[in-house]
Amino acid sequence: MSRRWIWTAVPIALVAFAEPAQAQGQGEDELSRIPSEAPPAPPATPSGRSGLGKLQRTVYLESATEAELLRSSLDVPSPSPAPTTIEERFFADLVLHWIPTRDLTFHLSARGGFRVGEGIPFPTHENIRADFRELYASWKPFEGAYLDAGRINLKSGVAIGFNPTDFFKTRAVVEPLSIDPAVLREDRLGTVMLRGQFVWRHGSVSAAFAPRVASPPPLYTNTTLPALDPMFGRTNGHHRFLLKGNVDLIADFSPEALFYEEDGAVRLGFNVAQSLGKKVVAYAEWAGGWQSGIGQEALSFGTLTGSFSSAVADNLATSSATHFQQDASVGLSYATESKMTFWLEYHLHQAGFSRADWRFWFDQGTGPSGQLLAPILWFERGYAQEQQVPMSKHSLFLRADWTDAFIFNLELTAFANVDLYDGSTLAQVTASYAVTNLWTIALLSSANIGSRSSEFGSLPSVFSALFTIRYYF
Amino acid sequence: MSRANALRIPTGLVIAALSAGAWGQTPAEIVARADEVRNPNAAFRFLSTLTEYVSGKPQAQNVLAIFSKKDPRTGQFRNLVRFVEPPRDAGKAVLLDGRAFWFYDPASKASVRISPQQRLIGQAAVGDVLTVTMSIDYTATLVSTESVQDANKKPRTSWHLDLKAANELSTYARIEYWVEQGSFQPVKAKFYSDSGRLLKILFYRSFETWLGGLRPTEAVILDAVDSSRVTTLKSSEHRLQQIPEAWFQREYLPRLEAE
Repeated sequence: MSRRWIWTAVPIALVAFAEPAQAQGQGEDELSRIPSEAPPAPPATPSGRSGLGKLQRTVYLESATEAELLRSSLDVPSPSPAPTTIEERFFADLVLHWIPTRDLTFHLSARGGFRVGEGIPFPTHENIRADFRELYASWKPFEGAYLDAGRINLKSGVAIGFNPTDFFKTRAVVEPLSIDPAVLREDRLGTVMLRGQFVWRHGSVSAAFAPRVASPPPLYTNTTLPALDPMFGRTNGHHRFLLKGNVDLIADFSPEALFYEEDGAVRLGFNVAQSLGKKVVAYAEWAGGWQSGIGQEALSFGTLTGSFSSAVADNLATSSATHFQQDASVGLSYATESKMTFWLEYHLHQAGFSRADWRFWFDQGTGPSGQLLAPILWFERGYAQEQQVPMSKHSLFLRADWTDAFIFNLELTAFANVDLYDGSTLAQVTASYAVTNLWTIALLSSANIGSRSSEFGSLPSVFSALFTIRYYF
Repeated sequence: MSRANALRIPTGLVIAALSAGAWGQTPAEIVARADEVRNPNAAFRFLSTLTEYVSGKPQAQNVLAIFSKKDPRTGQFRNLVRFVEPPRDAGKAVLLDGRAFWFYDPASKASVRISPQQRLIGQAAVGDVLTVTMSIDYTATLVSTESVQDANKKPRTSWHLDLKAANELSTYARIEYWVEQGSFQPVKAKFYSDSGRLLKILFYRSFETWLGGLRPTEAVILDAVDSSRVTTLKSSEHRLQQIPEAWFQREYLPRLEAE
């Protein structure tokens, strides 16, 4: 061993075994913030916990008080009954999962309660509402394969404001508390169907058949909702078939393709979502098929269900010919380090109203036959709402969400739906605060902004506010 | 720059390098050994109880079931997180797989894609905090050897490592990491954003034997942006778990059960 090596090794050993330096920058305040080592013990695994055990349940009670400010007059008069200006709803919401064996699961999702309000007679059956959203069984014959049967809420699509590939959305939303698309999906009925699904390491494929089990009922209004009725006519008024699948083409790129048939009419669909860097997600959704314009479709539906006579509808009839019509939703989301997320979406609904269609709608409603035609004109708009499609061909959707805004557990959400023809806007702001793990309160306010002859400015409601209190059991 | 200046190496780095060398470990090996202490190699499932403290008082508690499995291609853990408590979140699920992040909400029956930044907003981010494979996601250099106080204010002779994101998928741009010499137990970490902002300070504590090793069962996260906020993550009910590859498909999320 050379002397030079020894002179080198000694300082190494000294450094290695010497008392190390104190960490720089480790403030006492860091350590003083640490809670004592006696955190609440994690709960055991009994039944009754929301997400564990053989019987899982989520139950809450909610009180929702809504006040609405109506316009004093409208260019196209709103049909009677006039919208309710104040309404109170009190309901229980129940979701149950029962897992008797590893391969068999039963699901129940329902909501029921009372409502009173201006224009809703009391006491009548109109004061009671119950919706059976889902009731189905799932069986796993082998790993990755699933068979589901019953009333199922089958949702497709990756966009936020409008989902062209969500083919089972039509007529499924019942009495929504908010027009926020995210909330609309919570209040929707499932469809009676048989569904098979296979999920493997590189993708999945699903097939669903929903039979016609009842005739399609007319459009519902706030005062014609049945009290205790599964309303199968809304969800199972036609034979419907869906085949969809997604495959990982490369890494995390996994687009989904859809084939949908309803009473012989075919629609094709496609959707994809992709991260662009750390903060941005880009997504696109497209569907296309042969159909007539939304106005003509509504008129055909209205005469079919006896909502009005074909003689009156003929005054508004346009071409009943079907064309290949496309729907699209293309958007971006952007998340910040401050717990804010923004979405921007463009919506295309080719079967929707063009600028000329809007002019025709207002001309007819304000013309000499306006009083006669107004109910049918508003029926067209109610039809689009039940179909959950935009009324206009081109619209823009913006949304912002801020988690832990100002204080812990306060969430602020705002969205705007903008008609790109006339610039009119439906805007809503929501503040939701989780007071405890069990109590949540929320305040929503929405406004229809625009001129009297615009899409949103022509609506009866100017402004509405909703206050909710929710308690989980 | 003069030749003399070019050859002038910071004394601290020399000491640190010599110190690591004395233990026969490179910085990368130290981080890899600490990864092995934190998590087993096999696929596993555990419950994580999050307690959120605001100004020292517990404000909220969440329970998550987390399923973790290493991706054989990348060596990184992929996580599936299912919310168990509180009731308003029960049934929500998150898929965290490399750069594919999906969030499923049972109320809307919708799965939406989220960005790497968005996954840090919710509680599901803890899945990543607990199982991030630092030796793969980050490139380590040794800063110094220090005596650092752990969460119980006990001094631990530790390597102080500086970790830089090794790829664009890394959640944090930079991490300062303290690993105890000899035991390779992680003691503390500081997480920084792309902009260099200190986001959180994490202390590991409550080392217990589970799934074949003495590992931390609790992490204490100090919010560096809001000094009133602290989160503790207590893990329990660890068990080895068969996790088929199909579970990492977004279409599987609605079927993910916590058990």
